Amino acid sequence: MKRTIFSNQLLPWLLLAPQLAITFIFFLWPAGQAIWQSFLREDAFGIKTSFVGLANFRALVDSPEYMNSLQVTAVFAVSVTLLSMGVSLLMAVSVDRMLRSSRIYTTLLVWPYAVAPAVAGILWWFIFNPTIGVLPYALDLIGYDWNHIQNPNQAMGLVVIASAWKQISYNFLFFVAGLQAIPASLREAAAIDGAGPIRRFFDITFPLLSPTTFFLLVVNIVYAMFDTFGVIDATTEGGPAQATNIMVYKVYFDGFVGQNIGSSAAQSVVLMLLVIALTVVQFRWVEKKVEY
Amino acid sequence: MASITLDNVGKVYPGGTRAIGDVNIQIADGEFIVLVGPSGCGKSTLLRMVAGLETITDGEIRIGDKVVNKVEPADRDIAMVFQNYALYPHMSVRQNLAYGLKNRRTPKAEIDRRVNDAAEILQIGQFLDRKPRALSGGQRQRVAMGRAIVREPAAFLFDEPLSNLDAKLRVTMRLEIKELQKRLGTTSLYVTHDQLEAMTLADRLVVLNAGRIEQIGTPLEVYRKPASTFVAGFIGSPAMNLIDARAVPYLPGTAHAGTVGIRPEDLTVAADGPIEMQVQAVEELGAQRLVHGHTAGEAITITMPPTAPLSDTLRLTAAQDKLHLFDRQSGARIE
Repeated sequence: MKRTIFSNQLLPWLLLAPQLAITFIFFLWPAGQAIWQSFLREDAFGIKTSFVGLANFRALVDSPEYMNSLQVTAVFAVSVTLLSMGVSLLMAVSVDRMLRSSRIYTTLLVWPYAVAPAVAGILWWFIFNPTIGVLPYALDLIGYDWNHIQNPNQAMGLVVIASAWKQISYNFLFFVAGLQAIPASLREAAAIDGAGPIRRFFDITFPLLSPTTFFLLVVNIVYAMFDTFGVIDATTEGGPAQATNIMVYKVYFDGFVGQNIGSSAAQSVVLMLLVIALTVVQFRWVEKKVEY
Repeated sequence: MASITLDNVGKVYPGGTRAIGDVNIQIADGEFIVLVGPSGCGKSTLLRMVAGLETITDGEIRIGDKVVNKVEPADRDIAMVFQNYALYPHMSVRQNLAYGLKNRRTPKAEIDRRVNDAAEILQIGQFLDRKPRALSGGQRQRVAMGRAIVREPAAFLFDEPLSNLDAKLRVTMRLEIKELQKRLGTTSLYVTHDQLEAMTLADRLVVLNAGRIEQIGTPLEVYRKPASTFVAGFIGSPAMNLIDARAVPYLPGTAHAGTVGIRPEDLTVAADGPIEMQVQAVEELGAQRLVHGHTAGEAITITMPPTAPLSDTLRLTAAQDKLHLFDRQSGARIE
């Protein structure tokens, strides 16, 4: 590595200052405030604030609603990750087999990634709207009653599909790049070695894709847990009956709608710890590359 | 073990470009055939057509008595060694060797026996549990060979297997491949652009140019009687001198020929030689000396002993039976 020696002590700090300022103002300061607030409790009228130690956290652990939110988040994150990665891998493998027109196909598939989560949410809200949506109408024709406003499982289905859809482009790009990095001769050698297309995929392609897959796994879990606020807010708002109230949405709802700042702050501290844990996983294993 | 027959084989790409045309080769059981030609001549494409990795648009390929035009690579009973070895990086050497046998549901004991045999033949026994990335180029090359051997196929196909090795290792591996093929007696088809490799390995050479066969013959046949100016210029190092017959009217047979070919080692210095050569450059190779120059505007190169006297002008002679005569239009040999 190249090491630059500054004769002046001030210059390096000046060069770092903009980034440090952004980090401090937008990350460290709010995070510090959240941690501080998680130890406080405001009375119902917002007149008096008192220090309550870990009481907010204890209340969370005892709260069946929070436990429900944890469970909902887990189901949601796993479903979104599996769905978006599964579909995009399938698409990437199909594109990899195409000789021509794969470029047009790739370009078109990337578009959803440019759509903002809230817009994507509204898009799916329209498609799935029980009163005016296309899909419920079509499902009604085959005798299936779609109403995610009342049915918790259907609501979960809706937010999972809407969130996964947005992430497919991103995963697809990485999978296509990953697949193209695998030399064609390996698959040819396997073909001569008597492995059929499916066998080749599971014996050769998939193991060699594992660094990409692992990277995407972490990225998708992080996305599902923290970046899907817009989708939830535009479609189900956490309902019906808390069925899609994932942790990030609950932080917002309890804090800004319910005005319970102490509990909301405690919840965001829990989320912060989760992000830290996922980041550690990311750095420990992804940076070192999954070995094959 | 099997013979391989290519009968009027051709390939036209969907765009209409012809890659291969009218290729006829009969490869006897146990024969070592080398396909040689400059890059882009279609030799790798032809090999991949035999392997089943490229489609065949004209003619017929038979392995043994079976027409394999539409047969999957796996069912052709061939093994291929790739230029980049194509070892499975996530599998150990043992797994790499066993993969093809496992896919064919070979019994476990049989797999172990064959893997150990191959490992012994190629002296890679101590690497069996390592991953390919822990091996050197030469060792990877052996593993790639091992993967072909364990299958005990009807034929080996080699696609420039030595081109990624350094010059010294290439010579050693070349000898090993030759010995191994003789020992196993497996029909082999070997692709290379290196004419030296082709000469040393082949029972018979197939010289390809622009998707067509220029000549088929034993290395010495091809060397002694090149069928065209292309073969004459391609086989042999330093390359044969190809001189316009009008520049050397005093040489016998030049009246009806377009091009006269003389190998550099067949041109000897003689005080009364008919050819006058203006020397331009000299390359000392140690054991011999290459002298480049021209006569009547035609470039010529000769080899000389390193101790022979040099001057700006040399008089040269060549024995009549060392002259190769080629037609002006077609470039074909004239006997």
